[in-house]
Amino acid sequence: MRFHRSTKLLVEPSTVTTGDIAFNLIVFFLVCASVQPDSGRKQSVPRSEQQEKEKAKVEHVEVRLTRTTAAINGDVVRARDFVPRLRALLAGKTRPEDKVVVVRSDQETPYSHWIAVTAMIEEAGGIITILREEEREVQLPR
Amino acid sequence: MKIRRKTMRAEVPSTAMGDIAFNLLIFFVILARAQDDSFLKWQPAHARNLEQAGPSKVSVLIDAESKLYLNGRQVGAAQLAKQIGELLGEAPPGQRTVLLKVHRDAQAMRFEPVIEAISEAGGDLVHILEKEKE
Repeated sequence: MRFHRSTKLLVEPSTVTTGDIAFNLIVFFLVCASVQPDSGRKQSVPRSEQQEKEKAKVEHVEVRLTRTTAAINGDVVRARDFVPRLRALLAGKTRPEDKVVVVRSDQETPYSHWIAVTAMIEEAGGIITILREEEREVQLPR
Repeated sequence: MKIRRKTMRAEVPSTAMGDIAFNLLIFFVILARAQDDSFLKWQPAHARNLEQAGPSKVSVLIDAESKLYLNGRQVGAAQLAKQIGELLGEAPPGQRTVLLKVHRDAQAMRFEPVIEAISEAGGDLVHILEKEKE
């Protein structure tokens, strides 16, 4: 009996570079995954010089913020009533300078609360202006 | 009788050239991110109706420890307006975007002067926030 020896060799793709390819892919996806959040909200805050000039002419709506509350012209307003209330106050005003809403925050007001309230002011059609209480150093007599 | 020495051709293996080039490319791309502040710890506040911030040359960040950073470098609040102004230069309106990343629990005494400084420098302020889950 005769056996025929097959001369066909098994050809396999080279696997030497597989490690390199895997490493490159890992690096590539790591770089892609480390993307920071890039969505947000535009906000135009008028320059302080302009607002000082306008302050004397018009009586603006004032929103006062504490750690958890928001008050319109001194009255604490619940979140769901905030937009309708402010919209009503701004209703008759047509000029942009009349729609300025002065935001005054307590020093410990958290950013998340500030953002939520300023979003509602913009929703009501107001233009945000920040009023900050200046820190002054007072020297006590010895 | 002289025996001739056989000359062998020695070649540098070029199989890994592509991989090396690719790695170098990634390396330089990472380095080129001048305003990289991805190493800083902060958590964005939540909000609805967000839009893409778009490209920006200036990024201001207040981290979880209330430290202030301009393009990844720690700065003082007093010089912020001037430094932002220098970075923005004579850029026309629409290309003066300043990204503001504030940790959600940062207090008004810390972030309000920053907002004021951006406004003073003539920057177009964009708050970087996370979309609120419905």
